[in-house]
Amino acid sequence: MRTRDIDKEQLVKQKAIECIVKDGMEGFSMNKLAKACKISVATLYIYYKDRDDLIISIAREEGLRMAKIMLEDFDENASFEDGLRVQWKNRYKHMMENPHLGVFFDQLRSSSYHAQFMETFKTNFETAIGNFMHNVHERGEVNEMPFEAFWSVAYAPLYSLIRFHNEGYSVGGKPFAMSDKILWATFNLVVKALKN
Amino acid sequence: MNIYLLMKKFDHILLFKTNCSTGADKLMLQCLMQQDGIEEWNLDLDDCDYVLRVISRTLNHASIILLLNRHGYECCELI
Repeated sequence: MRTRDIDKEQLVKQKAIECIVKDGMEGFSMNKLAKACKISVATLYIYYKDRDDLIISIAREEGLRMAKIMLEDFDENASFEDGLRVQWKNRYKHMMENPHLGVFFDQLRSSSYHAQFMETFKTNFETAIGNFMHNVHERGEVNEMPFEAFWSVAYAPLYSLIRFHNEGYSVGGKPFAMSDKILWATFNLVVKALKN
Repeated sequence: MNIYLLMKKFDHILLFKTNCSTGADKLMLQCLMQQDGIEEWNLDLDDCDYVLRVISRTLNHASIILLLNRHGYECCELI
């Protein structure tokens, strides 16, 4: 019997993300979610205290899962290029396997749940990335620069490509599908831009 | 969420549909929910059914419904 409940809990999480992505944070309600899952509203309230509790729980859980995936095979002592390559590989894999998550995370970032969501990364993930960047600066591989400037060059291109892929088109409505060739060609340009 | 813990607590989660729709109603409930036997409670003001969620090992649905009715609120079990 317990297996069935875990399945139901998984279904609730998956449908909640789908509903939020489809209708936006404002249009999301426990009633709509219950209907999408074909369960009673009361069942949802057994799992979660209220709508806020549900969104925060799912955001935390998915945030922690992503932080864990991003650290797979990541060595904070690696060279800049190797470390960044692992980050690109992990982020790419995670986003391609969970296409709704990128939109869901963007919605969380621009919502009142922002702070609670970002808390999930203040764990091992921030420490490991912080140590990696410290080592890279110490070795003089990359110049110090504002974090936002670094992130915009290092990761924003990756997220742009993934967004184009998920939407099926790029700038001006041109059809687009991601390939490993485009991914790693872009990565090489990023390394070239940042590495001394 | 730990499913095992959840299953154990399952029977003690009492759910109601109410007409407690404002912050003032919530304040009123804060007083009402101080009675013995209520371990935890929550009112979802974002939901159209204004769901009241009570955790109690000693009280049942009828006693909570009576408590709210006595203070002028509509309240029925959420199914």
